[in-house]
Amino acid sequence: MSDVREFDTRPAGHPSAESPLAWSFHRQAPPREAGAGVTLREHAFLGHLVLRGGAIVLDEAVREVLGIALPARPNTLALDDGGERSVQWLAPDEWLVIVPAGEEFTLESRLRQALGQAHFSIVNVSGGQTLIELSGPQAREVLMKSTTYDVHPQAFPVGKGVTVVFAKASVVLRRPREDAWELVVRRSFADYCYRWLLDAAGEYGVSVAR
Amino acid sequence: MSQSPSQPNRLAQGGQVDRSRTLNFTFNGKRYSGHAGDTLASALLANGVDIVNRSFKYSRPRGIVAAGAEEPNAVVQLGASEAAQVPNVRATQQALYDGLTARSTNGWPNVQRDLMGMVGKVSGAFMPPGFYYKTFMAPASLWMTYEKYIRKGAGLGNSPTEADPDHYDHMNRHCDVLVVGAGPAGLAAALTAARSGSRVILCDEQEAMGGSLLDSREPIDGAPAVQWVERTLEALGAMDNVTLLPRTTANGYHDHNFVTLHERRTEHLGDTAPTRDGRRQVRSRLHRVRARQVVLATGTHERPLVYANNDVPGNLVAGAVSTYIRRYGVVPGNRLVLSTSNDHAYRAALDWHEAGREVVAIVDARANPDGELVERARALGIRVITDSAVIEAKGANRVSAARVAKIDAQLFTLAGRVEELACDTIASSGGYSPVIHLSSHTGTRPLWRDDILGFVPGTLKGMTSAGGAQGIYALPAVIADGIDAGSQAVQANGQSAEPFEAPLVAPIREGESVALYQIPHEKPTLRAPKQFVDLQNDVSAAGIEVATREGFESIEHVKRYTVMGFGTDQGKLGNINGMAIVARCLRRTIPEVGTTVFRPNYTPVTFGAIVGRHCRELFDPERYTALHQWHVEQGAEFEDVGQWKRPWYFPRTVNGKKESMHEAVARECLAVRERVGILDASTLGKIDIQGPDAREFLGRVYTNKWAKLAPGRVRYGLMCKDDGMLMDDGTTSCLGENHFLMTTTTGGAAGVLEWLELWHQTEWPELDVYFNSVTDHWATMTVTGPDARKLLAEITDIDLDREAFKFMDWREGTVAGVPARVFRISFTGELSFEINVQANYAMHVWKTLFEHGEKYQLTPYGTETMHVLRAEKGLIIVGQDTDGSVTPEDLGMQWAIGYDKPFAWIGKRALSRSDTRRTDRKQFVGLKPKDPKVVLEEGAQIVFDPKQAIPMVMSGHVTSSYYSPSLGQGFALAVVKGGHERMGDTVYLPMVDGTVHEAEIVSPVFIDPKGERQNV
Repeated sequence: MSDVREFDTRPAGHPSAESPLAWSFHRQAPPREAGAGVTLREHAFLGHLVLRGGAIVLDEAVREVLGIALPARPNTLALDDGGERSVQWLAPDEWLVIVPAGEEFTLESRLRQALGQAHFSIVNVSGGQTLIELSGPQAREVLMKSTTYDVHPQAFPVGKGVTVVFAKASVVLRRPREDAWELVVRRSFADYCYRWLLDAAGEYGVSVAR
Repeated sequence: MSQSPSQPNRLAQGGQVDRSRTLNFTFNGKRYSGHAGDTLASALLANGVDIVNRSFKYSRPRGIVAAGAEEPNAVVQLGASEAAQVPNVRATQQALYDGLTARSTNGWPNVQRDLMGMVGKVSGAFMPPGFYYKTFMAPASLWMTYEKYIRKGAGLGNSPTEADPDHYDHMNRHCDVLVVGAGPAGLAAALTAARSGSRVILCDEQEAMGGSLLDSREPIDGAPAVQWVERTLEALGAMDNVTLLPRTTANGYHDHNFVTLHERRTEHLGDTAPTRDGRRQVRSRLHRVRARQVVLATGTHERPLVYANNDVPGNLVAGAVSTYIRRYGVVPGNRLVLSTSNDHAYRAALDWHEAGREVVAIVDARANPDGELVERARALGIRVITDSAVIEAKGANRVSAARVAKIDAQLFTLAGRVEELACDTIASSGGYSPVIHLSSHTGTRPLWRDDILGFVPGTLKGMTSAGGAQGIYALPAVIADGIDAGSQAVQANGQSAEPFEAPLVAPIREGESVALYQIPHEKPTLRAPKQFVDLQNDVSAAGIEVATREGFESIEHVKRYTVMGFGTDQGKLGNINGMAIVARCLRRTIPEVGTTVFRPNYTPVTFGAIVGRHCRELFDPERYTALHQWHVEQGAEFEDVGQWKRPWYFPRTVNGKKESMHEAVARECLAVRERVGILDASTLGKIDIQGPDAREFLGRVYTNKWAKLAPGRVRYGLMCKDDGMLMDDGTTSCLGENHFLMTTTTGGAAGVLEWLELWHQTEWPELDVYFNSVTDHWATMTVTGPDARKLLAEITDIDLDREAFKFMDWREGTVAGVPARVFRISFTGELSFEINVQANYAMHVWKTLFEHGEKYQLTPYGTETMHVLRAEKGLIIVGQDTDGSVTPEDLGMQWAIGYDKPFAWIGKRALSRSDTRRTDRKQFVGLKPKDPKVVLEEGAQIVFDPKQAIPMVMSGHVTSSYYSPSLGQGFALAVVKGGHERMGDTVYLPMVDGTVHEAEIVSPVFIDPKGERQNV
């Protein structure tokens, strides 16, 4: 065995997979309201990796493998041209990488190769979190109900991402585009956050896109 | 002016009510009508309702006194249905809506004639301050009896007994400048800040913004002041950077400019929130504002004068009279006597006169009042009596006369004959108190200013106050001060201010005011009819005087002894008068007496708004595993473990009858011991540890050794706090030379990760290691029992041979086609495999196991069975069998302590303290009840000698206790003093009902002490 045990947790075949919100959608049909002020959409099964290490070595490897510069400024988010792959600053030695489903294990291996003997860690957390997109004219109001962080466009421009207290959970809140917010939510808290969002958005009308 | 027949005190014209819209309402069961734009108070006055409540302590009839938040008497219970009940609403702040139903909060059985009134009359003289302390203190056991009746007689409303149908929530806001109060100063400050580009929030507690301008006599730019208000609000409303929050009270000013605003969004529309487009609106919202700068433009409260019987309905503060006439077109009486210490209050008499009713006299405490308003009153032929004051009101349920006399305020005596003036209304004004409540919340001490006879806010970084709140009363100066405060706030944020040109307001020449608080009476204070200071809490001048005589000199002590300024009132009307009386009694000045601390909330906030959405199913997060749906569908009962919902047991229906927990657990236990069971263990904390120093780090945080754990192997570890007490346990697997997977208890997961980071970041930053939580990434399924191997073998490519895959090994491969790590560890004592797969695929694997498990009678089991099975094996649960005072040695786990490790692991030193070396520490043992049918109570105390006298020496307690289906009897785990040396001893457990259980101390391992079953 090598020093660190790599393990591809995604099956080769096609056993059925259930997203963290599967139970929520099953229990109660997701609302679809005409003229909803807020729209939610789960982007399930994406590849999520947590990188820890020194910024300089990681930056070099991430540029080389992913073609994205490691965001060095706290609470910032970098995306590739298509907006499909992102790297987000979480802490001075910690970044979150989100890539399309199935890319994560190859990416981990290539990063490990590029990083060689440097001290770092890469952890696959794809099964442990999901991404919920929030859009619509009242999306910001719903966020104001949910987090103490300032989500005014002046304080939270596109390209920002912050770990925040969200209701009574902790989520990563990010703004990849002008018209959408993303919440990276831990699997076990996903149903709570989802129900909270539906409740908080109730007065504006809410739709869940599938 | 003529009057409307149904509303005898309503003027035909004037005010901002819409007479074309009539609204019906019910007060104390009687129907009335008012108009759109009324408050409940103005509508009650329009209808000539004098008595709105009974007083708190003496049960005296009380009427409306004020027109705003400071109203002490008109506190009502609102709501037509039980579910919509809201207590503690001030009628002066409640907008009228059609169908409004309200009743008095005090007055049992009713306000007109009540039982407590008799008590008040009879016992009034016998209820001095401190009455409750003195009378009901002993015996303490009877307080429960007194309390019921005292509360019934005196309470401030009822909480609803049915669930509230409404929604409430919180909204977090951030701004550059928060302006509290939208009167002239607040509007000017907000406009200045907004024009400068700042993010501005302007909130105001009233139905309409404008504050004093809504009933002002003074034109602005040559037009009625309300027009300037409208223009300014329009300008503010058009700016993106401005948030206007009407009907919003700033109720608490906390540290770091965190201000809570209570917005009543639909309270003016009905007693439950209406729907819009079929969506239920939020009734009440708490805005949690973080402001860089706060401008307090909270204005003033007028001080009433303290004279005898000043609580009889028909006594009002002067400004309220003007407000009712000018804003609501309501004259609250026919014949007015005004008692004043200042010019400004003359407005009340002028307004009264203009409304076409009689001003009997203006009684002015000054010798030579000569301001513009005084001259105008004289020109109208109104009698002005100088050097005098109203010393007493006559009347029972309504004022019938005012007794007026010349007074000497300095000597506190009358200086002339008493004249009685027939009237039905007495308006009084003793000057104006800046509303300093919010600044006081922050802990800043207010400053007394002799020139304005009032306290102004102290200084605080990030806070300014403007206008009335700063003791500035003349309208042109107030507006200028608002502009100035807005500019200062903007500049304090490092931006440049863009003030606007102040509108034109002609100044009014006002004469000097005189300090006047309590009015002397012919009789000394203690003998005179009651002179009320705090109407809501029924505190009189005599009560305060008694308090000072009994030695209460500090104003904070006087407050607590007399209850002045307590509760929802927070001293709005009475505090300064009370301090002045204390000052008089103690021969001190008011600043020497000082002020009490005002506390949040400024006015009561409904619990709904405080709770927001954090209620019902959103009260606390419910964490679910990836298999939750299956558990629900199988009818599992759930147990809360931390925030997780874990299956507790899976009751089956046998012969149409659902199993009890006892039956289900017995069945589940036997299934594991005899065939195979399965547990959802996904909630266990899992931490991925990588780095060349990972192994070294483990050696320092765990008590046992990790140097030689090879890849592919698993080890159980104990983690201590630095005090040597066990904090968590779990297994850690070596995944690679520099790679480990640690498991923690379900509840301890977050705490352990923090603990590791804490030690790494603060003590051992030189160690190259990283920690990451992977709890949610992996779902864990424990397959356990004699048939576990056979079942798993059907769906895995891992070699499960007992030699190839030993106890405490882990292997990787696929299970049901899904990549899996399988750990051969056991928490049941049986052959066990813990299968870990990526959580998104867990349901597939779980269901596949059940497809293949049918022939083995695969039985799902929950946490209760898990507890029984592990207890039979003597395996501890941290937090149940330990409580933060138990060392690994107390548990008899010396085998898991590496005493000779080169680096002193956390907690090692503590194990050599004399206290941890004691031989009579509580030690972990098993207990076997002598009667096999007995299941001991968890928590039961253990004694060695059952015959000793009470209080007995308690020598231990039961930590876990169950019925064991395998043993066919009850058994327990316990901690007993010196227990390790007491094997075979008999101990006793005296119970509350007098029975005493006997039990034998035995090894905590009840089943398979050699561990053969898990090693097969």
